[in-house]
Amino acid sequence: MSENILETINLFYDYSGLQVLTGVDLQVEKGERHAIIGPNGAGKTTLFNVITGMYSPSRGKVMFKGKNVSGFKPHKLSRLGMGRSFQITSTFHNLSTFQNIRMGVLSRMGIRFNMFNRVDKMEDVTKETNAILERINLKEETHAPADALSYGKHRSLEVSLAMSTDPDLVMLDEPTAGMSRDETHSAVDLIRRLTEGRTMVIVEHDMDVVFSLADRITVLHHGKVLAVGRPDEIRNMKEVKDAYLGHRREV
Amino acid sequence: MIKSKRNLALWVVFLAAAGIAPHVLGIVKTNVLVELAGFVLYAVSLNLLLSYTGVLSFGHALFYGVGAYTTALLLYHVEGFPVIGALLLSGLAAGVIGLILSPLLVRVTGTAFAMLTLAFGQLMFILCLKFREVTGGEDGIAGYDVPNLNIPGIASFDMLDPTVFYYFALAVCVIGVLIMWYITKTPLGQVVVGIRDNTLRVDYLGYKVPQTKAIVFAVSGFFAGIAGSLFALFQGIVSTDGVLHIMVSFYPIMAILIGGIGTFFGPILGSGILIVLEDLIMRYTERAELITGLLFIGVVLYAPGGLLWLWRGLMAKLFGSKSQPASEEVEA
Repeated sequence: MSENILETINLFYDYSGLQVLTGVDLQVEKGERHAIIGPNGAGKTTLFNVITGMYSPSRGKVMFKGKNVSGFKPHKLSRLGMGRSFQITSTFHNLSTFQNIRMGVLSRMGIRFNMFNRVDKMEDVTKETNAILERINLKEETHAPADALSYGKHRSLEVSLAMSTDPDLVMLDEPTAGMSRDETHSAVDLIRRLTEGRTMVIVEHDMDVVFSLADRITVLHHGKVLAVGRPDEIRNMKEVKDAYLGHRREV
Repeated sequence: MIKSKRNLALWVVFLAAAGIAPHVLGIVKTNVLVELAGFVLYAVSLNLLLSYTGVLSFGHALFYGVGAYTTALLLYHVEGFPVIGALLLSGLAAGVIGLILSPLLVRVTGTAFAMLTLAFGQLMFILCLKFREVTGGEDGIAGYDVPNLNIPGIASFDMLDPTVFYYFALAVCVIGVLIMWYITKTPLGQVVVGIRDNTLRVDYLGYKVPQTKAIVFAVSGFFAGIAGSLFALFQGIVSTDGVLHIMVSFYPIMAILIGGIGTFFGPILGSGILIVLEDLIMRYTERAELITGLLFIGVVLYAPGGLLWLWRGLMAKLFGSKSQPASEEVEA
């Protein structure tokens, strides 16, 4: 068995009294595509936000690359090699597609406080940014403001932005939310290509996306891990069906 | 290529016009231009916060005042203190104040930021008003000599000659504005614009948001301090009402909103309109705000964003709406 790149140990989180996570033990192996699913209110998004540093856990630990990162600020996690995307598209809306991606490329190259050189004269940055744009099929929209992109392309930019810092672990929060069938299809392709050689954790409602992307699935229910397994195992698990559909006999 | 040629031509025209201005306009109007040079620098420094970082400061006079008082105190207490030294030290003092306040300022945005800066601005106003032994209170500091500007081995300029001072102020203004323009084109400038658009995302991309903002506050404070220093050198008197009054904070905001928010050159246009208009009105009445205020309201109502955006909208309509790509200016 390969090592865990991400692990949560007995993770608790409550919103001033409302227990949302009640002891989550999650293990994500290095190099796998891991999906977190669960019915509404299971705590998926909260778990996601605790791992990515939006909230600090009330109790328990988040281990990333063998290091306790509970309560680390987002920029610190990013520098350690964790990237995330947002469920509600959260790009730099006034900036061009190129400038959006460049923001991540600059950070990856450690150019964060430079105020002495012109950014458009930095050829390696420009080259890398263009290479990424090529890879995500946004070459033609290079100069278009992010706001002017179609919904599907804007979502692609959102996901690509999470990967522009070249993270080892990518956390994707419902990357295909609100997409049409076709858009979802190409988004899944894009995600599969971009996450090549990385570890990915995805929170997703669309089961088609989950089953086509994930190597392993963790099912969350009432703030706890209900089941872990390969997609085909999860699909046929009785407890999972019960959690999603209530206690009905014929499913 | 065409663009750079056009820019070169614009520069030549600007420098030629600025060069002969004092000889064509006469002393009185040259003084207005000196005032304008300082004000442009001041407004552009505030614009770094308003248009780029996306925070509205109601207390920028704090930095302007610190710069002005630093220069006045230096020249008052140290006879023959070099002008350039006073200028730079004033900027530095204001920049350091910006850094000192930044741990508090970076934590808030929006209305809270505006109120906090307002509070600090007023605090400095009261401090200088009450600390009479040092600042002279309401009377301020006056009667300091402005020594000649010495460039060793080359020349010595009499700073009391209005024409000479005009060229000096012009040089300081142009250099300062160019440096700030350059900074907006660097990676740091990009990150700052990113913070304005989406602070959380900048954090998630691995940038330290508070530290980045602190640098901008320091830079903005530095140039506001330089502008204040120019004021002190030119007027020969520094008082609380002159450099720390709340209107000193509001005036550049008006200039930015009239000229064009979200652009680099809007504040320069706005400053020009405000200062020249005020000079014209002052010949007829003391109540310049009656007219500038109306202009301000008019712009806010009918050209929200400022005159530069109105102009661009017109241009786009007249010369076919060639879908303008997100040029460097849009980011600004």
